[in-house]
Amino acid sequence: MALTKKKQTNGTATKITWKEIKRQKVLLIWSAIIVVYGLIFCYFPLVGWLMAFQNYKPKDGLLHSTFIGLDKFKQLFSDVAFLKVIRNTLAMGVINLIATFIAAIVFAILLNEIRSKFGKKSVQTISYLPHFLSWIIVTGILHDALSSSGIVNELLLKFHILDQPLNFFAHPQYFWGIVAFANVWKETGWNAIIYLSAITAIDPSLYEAASIDGAGRWAKIKYVTLPGIKPTIMILLLMNVGNVLNAGFEIQYLLGNGLVQSVSQTIDIYVLKWGISQGDYALGTAAGIFKSLVSIILIVIANQIAKHNGDERLF
Amino acid sequence: MTIGKKNRKKKSFADMLFVFCNTVFMILFVIMTLYPVLNTLAISFNDGTDALRGGIYLWPRKWTLKNYTTVLQKNNLVTGTIVSVARTVIGTVLALFSNAILAFIVSRKRFLFRKQLSLFWVITMYVNGGMIPVFLLYKSLGLTNSFWVYVIPGMLNAFNMLVIRTYMNGIPDSLEESAQLDGAGYTTIFLKIISPLCKPVYATVALFVAVGQWNSWFDAMLYNRMSDNLTTLQYELMKLLSSVTNQSGSVETMKNAVGTVTPASVRAAATIVTMLPIICLYPFLQKYFVTGMTLGGVKE
Amino acid sequence: MRRKKVVSLIMTASLAFSMLTGCGNSADSSKPASTDSASEESSTDSTGSADGTGSADGEIKEFTAFFATPATTEINEDNEIQQIIAEKVGAKVKETWLTGQTDKEAIGTLIASGEYPDFIEGGSGTPQLIDAGALVPLDDYLDDYPNIKALFTEEEWDKLRQDDGKIYFIPQFSTIKGEEKACAHNDEAFWIQTRVLKWAGYPKVETLDEYFQLIEDYNAANPTMEDGTENIPYTILCEDWRYFCLENAPQFLDGYPNDGSVIVNPETLKVVDYNTTPTAKRYFQKLNEEYKKGVVDPESFTQTYDEYIAKLSTGRVLGMVDQWWDFAYSAGDSIKQQGLDSKGCAYVPLPITIDKGIKNQWHNSGGVLNVSSGLAVTTSCQDVEGALQFVNDLLDQDIHDLRFWGVEGVDYEVLDNGEFYRNKEQTTAAADAAYKSSHLCPYSYFPQYNGTSDDGINATKPENQPSMFYETLNDEVKATFDAYGAKTYVDMLGSSEAPGSWYPMWSYSNSLTTDTAGGTAWLKMGEVKHEYLPKVVMADDFEASWSEYMSVYSECKPEDFLAEMQGELDKRMEQAAKFNN
Repeated sequence: MALTKKKQTNGTATKITWKEIKRQKVLLIWSAIIVVYGLIFCYFPLVGWLMAFQNYKPKDGLLHSTFIGLDKFKQLFSDVAFLKVIRNTLAMGVINLIATFIAAIVFAILLNEIRSKFGKKSVQTISYLPHFLSWIIVTGILHDALSSSGIVNELLLKFHILDQPLNFFAHPQYFWGIVAFANVWKETGWNAIIYLSAITAIDPSLYEAASIDGAGRWAKIKYVTLPGIKPTIMILLLMNVGNVLNAGFEIQYLLGNGLVQSVSQTIDIYVLKWGISQGDYALGTAAGIFKSLVSIILIVIANQIAKHNGDERLF
Repeated sequence: MTIGKKNRKKKSFADMLFVFCNTVFMILFVIMTLYPVLNTLAISFNDGTDALRGGIYLWPRKWTLKNYTTVLQKNNLVTGTIVSVARTVIGTVLALFSNAILAFIVSRKRFLFRKQLSLFWVITMYVNGGMIPVFLLYKSLGLTNSFWVYVIPGMLNAFNMLVIRTYMNGIPDSLEESAQLDGAGYTTIFLKIISPLCKPVYATVALFVAVGQWNSWFDAMLYNRMSDNLTTLQYELMKLLSSVTNQSGSVETMKNAVGTVTPASVRAAATIVTMLPIICLYPFLQKYFVTGMTLGGVKE
Repeated sequence: MRRKKVVSLIMTASLAFSMLTGCGNSADSSKPASTDSASEESSTDSTGSADGTGSADGEIKEFTAFFATPATTEINEDNEIQQIIAEKVGAKVKETWLTGQTDKEAIGTLIASGEYPDFIEGGSGTPQLIDAGALVPLDDYLDDYPNIKALFTEEEWDKLRQDDGKIYFIPQFSTIKGEEKACAHNDEAFWIQTRVLKWAGYPKVETLDEYFQLIEDYNAANPTMEDGTENIPYTILCEDWRYFCLENAPQFLDGYPNDGSVIVNPETLKVVDYNTTPTAKRYFQKLNEEYKKGVVDPESFTQTYDEYIAKLSTGRVLGMVDQWWDFAYSAGDSIKQQGLDSKGCAYVPLPITIDKGIKNQWHNSGGVLNVSSGLAVTTSCQDVEGALQFVNDLLDQDIHDLRFWGVEGVDYEVLDNGEFYRNKEQTTAAADAAYKSSHLCPYSYFPQYNGTSDDGINATKPENQPSMFYETLNDEVKATFDAYGAKTYVDMLGSSEAPGSWYPMWSYSNSLTTDTAGGTAWLKMGEVKHEYLPKVVMADDFEASWSEYMSVYSECKPEDFLAEMQGELDKRMEQAAKFNN
């Protein structure tokens, strides 16, 4: 296994020769079809990015709208409010990424350690169910639980951690944590599915060998399970690094209020308020381009690091 | 001997502690994740107006089936369900097939444009042209007012492709090489050698795609708003929810104070209605990625 | 497979062209688009009946409509009353509504595609539609359709003219026929539970100080409800757009009507910012005091709408500011269902002003002409005459009755004196969501009348039928009304004449966008108020907090906003002047 990995990461690209092309004919035909598909459905709509440089009006289309150059970008980056939402988005993106990521991996590994097949299946089935609840339901329950008469305050009072109920949603310092918790709560079971399927690919003989060597549970997790799912972890990590600016919209919108709006508003909320609701297409598009550029830069860097470390990488 | 015995004893104590902690953790986790679902279930069976004052946790206070009858009497629900099932089945098959092919191609070590093709797709995850260009594209491709808008545009997806690719990368090259020595072409290798080993990851991706298809409604609203025969279950439920939210109260309800449905109660019932099919289907997929441990041996 | 790809490539190329040239910027380019839409509509028409174009007599024309507002009720395809109306007037409309998008977003997509339904209500996207040339000017048609023409006076029609001097849309909800028949005060007020008034012997409560004094006194004497639940003396809803419950009371406290975004001084005809008036400061200072006393619910500024409704539903909340429609049909119903209204937990409005002797304008009589949007016919419509004829027919009294009352003998009974009446089964049925979809067909976003029917007896809509309204009143509420010499909610406040011709200014501020400096300021002011008003109310040091708020507020450049509002006010008064001679 270690050998194949080395080969894969260090393998030099095959030279392009007629012989090789002929050999890979099937692959090349299929990839051509796939590239055409990608160009049409994923890349062609990017002509819409022109809107960011225009005072776009739907009636004028992309050709007749007046060009305004980089005005919208200047407007965005000179707005203190926008810089603030970048900060919020980044902070929540990173916290969410770390929290949900670790939670899912830990959960998948611990679930894998359950010996009873029935127990394992039922826990797994239950754990992914919250994924199907909409945010409005989940945030509603969370709001109830954290209200001054809610269960959290009740417990904190009972154990004398607090003297009087704490209004969690009135204090900006709790907001990011609450959002991260909500994400973990709702998505851990669902996110773990990928790791569970990766664990099934691990050769059982490796566990047997480890047992013979006298390895305990921790050792097996550390030396067999984790290395076995490491490629999956790396790929998901790399992909999600590119998504830190997509920290969300709905959950912050539903949990936020005037008192915490300085930490709760994300780029997407900003775009809705200042772009979409105003019929200002340029602003939203400009923010979108900014997000795309940041994402791509981030994944390129992350990918280089992974390459350097000899880990599984995106490209 | 003695050392071994001692070792085993020590191990079993640590083991027991671990099992104990793990069990406690899992029970807590299950309680926490089950609660919102049970709460939704309870609200879905509770009178809407009564539920407004809160205080419903795991059991309905004032039983009613009204929320469900409201949901199930929705116009076009049968059409919507048929379309939703169709798009889920067709969409999943298409997506699984195309993502698997793409993943297969980019996981071939010899493939000439391996890196370029991967990058080409990775970038698509982070860029998007916005609603209007996409709308105009679909319109000129004849995808609006058409069933195919549900399954064609999202067919290939970098995330799903990468998940499959990672799994395929873990399959030893020796399998491919020996098959090639036997004269097998790429098609055979894909269908006969690689795919059977990828069942767990195929099941995972199928689940992701199917759930995405089953739950999506925005495309139905955006592209097929005027075509009642192409409506989907979720879109119908969204419309219902929207209209319940906006129904201005009327003197009728005021007069009789009849228990009536509220957005929250209808939402709960609609959530349960859409969750049920997935819960029923789940065990069939689950066996591939929870029980596992049997496929590994085939590989070497 | 490959051929398919080639086809799509060609299509893509043609798309590139169509997208770059844009759509609907001239009459020419909208023409092909409209034929396109018509053919698509008919090809996907599952009922197989003829589309709206040039159908022969006796055939039922079918139109499409899109309303950029969330649905109130979705009408089923086989809706019974829709069919009855269709047979009578020879046309029906398939309605679609906004779901999961903002109105501007939905309208933007429609404009980009160049395909429109026959009828459209654009909401705040209306200016875009006009700009894109998507709407048919109605000026030349109006005289042929007497019912439509009669909806408004010449002066009112004139107010609807756009910058190019043409009329493009018909406001649906602005017309009151005959006697107004308003029983409920469907608007904003300081509400109070009847038990508080009863306990105090139904005192005269006119000022903000008196209002809070009463609540404080009551709560001191009765800190809990009968069952031991603690009272919440006063709560404030301020979730998202619903923060009007906190922010706009100062305009009413000064005795002005709900212009929504500014006060208009009727003598000088100047706009005044109600956020910075001395009254505003006194109002928030009062709230601050009451917050410190524990009278204002400490969760006010973090509660969600659902939590707020839950609180009200338990009957614990003694008073609040809100719009009637925002709580009466949810929390109000729940209170009734539990019988709490008999224990004095139902709400009545009080005529509160900042000082004594100010004439309050919480309730204004007369319709509000919404000049910012309405029902329009699009350039995609192949049969404008037929479409307008349909609108005209919908306003006939018998059709209007079908729309809002339903079928006689099924949905309502007619008493000997000609009065319409719904019995218990009928009212229950009419409240049922499924029945609404399958049977009732109000065409709720087509023009309609409030007020009194042509027969001079009945209200045009059941909810305004006085006899039916009184039946909904609880004895405690009736007793309260009696004590104040009132018969209706409106009487509790006293009604004012309709304000001047500028009214309401919100129809303009709602249409502002960040395209203008004023619109930008308006959005920023909202953001600042969302954050600082709660802070001001919760502040330990009110003065410091208030001056911080004022300095941040002035950074938003409210003067830009006020200047634009003043401009609009002047324009409206100028137009109105033409008719005053």
